[in-house]
Amino acid sequence: MSTGPVTTPPAPGAPPPVETVTVTIDGKTHQFPKGTNLLEACNATGANVPFFCYHPGLSSPAVCRQCLVEVKGQPKPVPSCYTPVADKMEVATASPKTLDVRRQMLEFTLVNHPIDCPICDKAGECMLQKHYFDWDGKLARNDGIKVKKAKVVDLGPTIVLDQERCILCTRCIRVCDEVAGVHQLEMSKRGDRELLGVAPGHKLDNPYSLNTVDVCPVGALTSKDFRFAMRAWELYATPSVCTGCATGCNTDVHSSRGRIYRLVPRVNEKVNKHWMCDEGRMTYKAVHTDRLAAPMSEGAAVEWDRALDDATRRLRTVLDQGPGRLGVVFNATSPNEDLYALAKLAFDHLGVGKAYLAGRDQGWSDKILVSADKNPNTAGAFAIGAGRLKTLLDLANDLKSGAIGALLVVGTDGVLVGDKASATMPLDKLEALVVLSTHKNAVTQAAHVALPLAGWAELDGTFTNKLGMVQRVHAAIPPAGDALAGWDILSHLAHKLGATMDFQSAKAVFTEASSKLPFMKGAEWGRGVRPLQLRFANSRG
Amino acid sequence: MDNTLAPPQTRRVVMGIQEPQDFDAPELPTEPLPLNMGPSHPAMHGTVRMVLEVEGEKISSADVQIGYLHRCFEKESEFATWTQVFPYTDRLNYISPMLNNVGYAMAVEKLLGITNQIPERAQYIRVIVGEMSRITDHMTCLGASAMELGAFTVFLYMLKAREWLFELIEEVCGARLTVSYLRIGGCAWDLPEGFAEKLRSILERSKGVLAEVSTLLDRNRIFRDRLDGIGVVTQQDCLQYGITGPVARSTGLAYDVRKDAPYLVYDRFDFDVPVGSVGDNFDRYAVRVEEMKQSMRILEQALQQIQPGPVAVNDPRIILPAKSETYNSIEAMIAHFKIIMDGIHVPPGEVYSYTEAGNGELGFYLVSDGTGRPWKCRVRPPCFAATAILPELLKGLFIADIVPTFGLMNMIGGECDR
Repeated sequence: MSTGPVTTPPAPGAPPPVETVTVTIDGKTHQFPKGTNLLEACNATGANVPFFCYHPGLSSPAVCRQCLVEVKGQPKPVPSCYTPVADKMEVATASPKTLDVRRQMLEFTLVNHPIDCPICDKAGECMLQKHYFDWDGKLARNDGIKVKKAKVVDLGPTIVLDQERCILCTRCIRVCDEVAGVHQLEMSKRGDRELLGVAPGHKLDNPYSLNTVDVCPVGALTSKDFRFAMRAWELYATPSVCTGCATGCNTDVHSSRGRIYRLVPRVNEKVNKHWMCDEGRMTYKAVHTDRLAAPMSEGAAVEWDRALDDATRRLRTVLDQGPGRLGVVFNATSPNEDLYALAKLAFDHLGVGKAYLAGRDQGWSDKILVSADKNPNTAGAFAIGAGRLKTLLDLANDLKSGAIGALLVVGTDGVLVGDKASATMPLDKLEALVVLSTHKNAVTQAAHVALPLAGWAELDGTFTNKLGMVQRVHAAIPPAGDALAGWDILSHLAHKLGATMDFQSAKAVFTEASSKLPFMKGAEWGRGVRPLQLRFANSRG
Repeated sequence: MDNTLAPPQTRRVVMGIQEPQDFDAPELPTEPLPLNMGPSHPAMHGTVRMVLEVEGEKISSADVQIGYLHRCFEKESEFATWTQVFPYTDRLNYISPMLNNVGYAMAVEKLLGITNQIPERAQYIRVIVGEMSRITDHMTCLGASAMELGAFTVFLYMLKAREWLFELIEEVCGARLTVSYLRIGGCAWDLPEGFAEKLRSILERSKGVLAEVSTLLDRNRIFRDRLDGIGVVTQQDCLQYGITGPVARSTGLAYDVRKDAPYLVYDRFDFDVPVGSVGDNFDRYAVRVEEMKQSMRILEQALQQIQPGPVAVNDPRIILPAKSETYNSIEAMIAHFKIIMDGIHVPPGEVYSYTEAGNGELGFYLVSDGTGRPWKCRVRPPCFAATAILPELLKGLFIADIVPTFGLMNMIGGECDR
């Protein structure tokens, strides 16, 4: 577990000398490192050369021919994604000939494309639509009959294929080969009868299968989960971080009217590059199921004031017996701000002696992205706990021995898991059990007072991944019901308990925490982000 | 009947601002009295509030408060595609919405660099519906102002003629006011069958209405006494306040965008720019009457010159393809989808485009960041400047003078407040 100050990667040594070449693109000369892909070079200069089969995270097969550019001295236009830059190369990305072949390639691609936009999941974020609008813009010259192919091909548990829409770019095949490391998709037949599919008896079932939907430039591959759920252009994108495991893949939360419809990976070369796992994508579902929406006292929904008063009264009774009788439970799924506020309240103000760390159980892992540690903020919890946190086993023992009379639980993941959990963890022995929880579960049922906690998609905060990177999440949707952020609830509770802890915003907690905690040093809160409607974000492509 | 006006130079102020002592009344002691007028006052058109300070009947200061019809036009436009802004422009000067459509469409076309590609027929249609709207604009202004001075008959006559024009506009686009008839790159569709004959007949009848109204008003002592010499705007004022349109022309400034910076096909028509000489309320009335006659001249010429042809540019990235194409080819389907959902892609840049609307120079300042919606859509409403001068103009007038002075400035809430 890395808990040191590693928010930035280790300082590199002196960079090795890079050999550069001089390339003239559209009349202007540029320097590029030798071996740079010509497409990347052109687009780095703002040339905006379109492409389908090229993907910055994958190899280039040059099958779509959409990125053809004119190179002086070459008899035919060359596929720029497959051509390394060479010294004294002269490239024209907007010459009449280049524009003409670009348009002709689009016309060719569109000959057999079905008229599906109104029912296609990709409409609005489709690269074919975007490139047609940007580079073609001519009406059809051909009214021949389009080649018929299968409209619904079940490729596996997560993906449905529409073979007619496929433009045969092979990006999906390469994602499986190069990211997931399994060859599960393949092309068959030739020409305009060419088909994408799986080999007979095989399935597209690797744990990274949904990346094929992201990279599919058109609506050929669709996610069974997102299919027909929402029009893409109605969604708003909010930058966030996946909370499914300790890797902390960067994501965009796609939501509309307070509901999340999907998570898609956001590029971060240091963490997840362009990808994320299927399991992580489904973490949004829990945001909308079994949420604790209102403060509960003695099992009845009450107003916030009443719930906070009840919690204070119960905690006060035990605190008056001595601070040693109160225990607090941290959770490795909480953001740094909640953990810091709880640590400040418990250790600095209440003088609590017994603190424990809960979290989800370990799970499966691989060498690609998935970590065995299924908590998004174990690193942050360890760093903030600074050796004061004991395990849940210790908590069970302390409960059985009656060493603690009251428990304040912030985040209930992993506290009571399984049927026999309440026998090993006798929470019913407590005089006061105050619980802050995102979801309704066995712990909130056992609680005297349960307070609704805002989930990861509803709060502004930071998580620390296993590399020690402090990563920011932004609130994508409003909190479920009356839920509040943990630091906010703890501030109110502190106020009622007579402690002088008064945070007004998540940023205030972050600022104080990052000035005191070495692991957060150098981390930046960043600017607020307004959710961006994909309709106006141009096509994601 | 001779309806010609006396030339402006020979007209003289019949009755100017008269100090109380000019009358034979005893001088009564007065003290400043605050008086609220509007916004719920019939003569304030429900959109303006004036906080007056009066001494007796005389206004010592007037605080003209606008903003009662603020609808965030400019901000809303930033959240609509370029095409979706048209319905918002209908509601700017809502008695000549076609002219707003023209102004906005031409601004976006200038930014797109396709001004020269607009088919000729579309340009003629724009002139025709625009000039029809200019007539409805002036008819409403004059009719309402006359009514507020007691000439209810004039109001009914004017609105009768306006209704003929509105009905024809409804035939063109399906709405009297919320027209949204123009598109970036042309018009939504062609003029209906029999349009020319109907318009000619309406123009003929409208000329009769104008003649009747002239008979009722031009030499009417009550009407003239309340307009002549009241609310005099000087040429200097116009330059200082940026006043354009009929108000500026009433002072003798012959500024008309249609003449000075011809757009569409205005350079092909023979028409005059009427100007006044005094700059008072009567000049503003007279200029508007004459402008309607000039608009009718333009319309008659336009109907003669217009030729059959396409009414929009032939580019599926700017104009929606025909439905038959959309349903039967993927190219047109994509174009349709992208225009509706993403909006027309207007290249990054900024532009100021100006046209002659009912109240003067209607300007649109647009900024594009290359996406399908305006980054900024600022409108220069012509009546904003004319309203700005009111406090200065009203000072020293009588309360009764507010009504014609305000009315003939033709402040339109939808345009001024946006």
